[in-house]
Amino acid sequence: MTGIVGGLLAVIAGSLFEVRPPDAYGLCMACHARDLVDWTINAAAGTQLTVAPASLVFPVLTPIGVLLGALMAARTSGEFRWQQPEHPLKTFLYGILVMNCALLAGGCSIRLLLRTSAGEPAGMIGFGALAAGVIVATQWLRWRATR
Amino acid sequence: MMAAIATLVAGVVLGYLGQRSRMCFVGGIRDFMLVRDRYLLRGLIAFGVTAWLAFPLMTAIGAPGVGPFGASDVVTVILTACGGFGVGYISTLANGCPFRQHVLAAQGVISSAAYLAGFLAGALIFHAWAAPLLLRLLPAWG
Repeated sequence: MTGIVGGLLAVIAGSLFEVRPPDAYGLCMACHARDLVDWTINAAAGTQLTVAPASLVFPVLTPIGVLLGALMAARTSGEFRWQQPEHPLKTFLYGILVMNCALLAGGCSIRLLLRTSAGEPAGMIGFGALAAGVIVATQWLRWRATR
Repeated sequence: MMAAIATLVAGVVLGYLGQRSRMCFVGGIRDFMLVRDRYLLRGLIAFGVTAWLAFPLMTAIGAPGVGPFGASDVVTVILTACGGFGVGYISTLANGCPFRQHVLAAQGVISSAAYLAGFLAGALIFHAWAAPLLLRLLPAWG
């Protein structure tokens, strides 16, 4: 259900609500977060950091929307509770690395799939590589657990 | 401004549904490999198939379509493949894709909040240092 709604919203946002260019840009956690950060810093400090054409006038707000929606769902279902971090520095570094890899690939896992669905060859290669990355990491985790 | 409002609304809807369904774009493949659980994988496939059907549908109703996509140069393909592999590998180690990390952070998981802090800092690091360095090393790419 979430997959169907997500796919529909991603395409509709891109096609009908000006979340473009680039193509297949309706939903991406990495690029949209990058636009938000860079646009804000550009506005505050007068820098010229890269933002997608869709975010030139005002940035896309997907990350804020997702945080608000998930917070509402967690509050209404009683699932919200603070959980102490186990390895905050490690996850902080993971965040940096994932964002850098995603911007290198031109999208997070969501947009690589969206580009694949749009029929972009580079997007298909990126999503194939992502699936390979997940498979190798899962094998690594399994090997480490059974060692 | 239209794009900002549309993405805010789409984000709220997806954040809500993502919290209820535990949707994760790397978790589907991981869970299927580890325990043959297809729940998250079905969401991943549903997203891809729905988008694949919706793109031509938008063109049919007169909205701007996507493509045609030209062939990418070799360097772009290699960087896309390396980046995609990195996203998949590290997201699996981090226990969730960026979307799932946003949802977990919103339900109080401080590890995911730390991840998001790194994620946002990563955007700045990429454009301030990593991309200029790459452009210097790979002048043909720029």
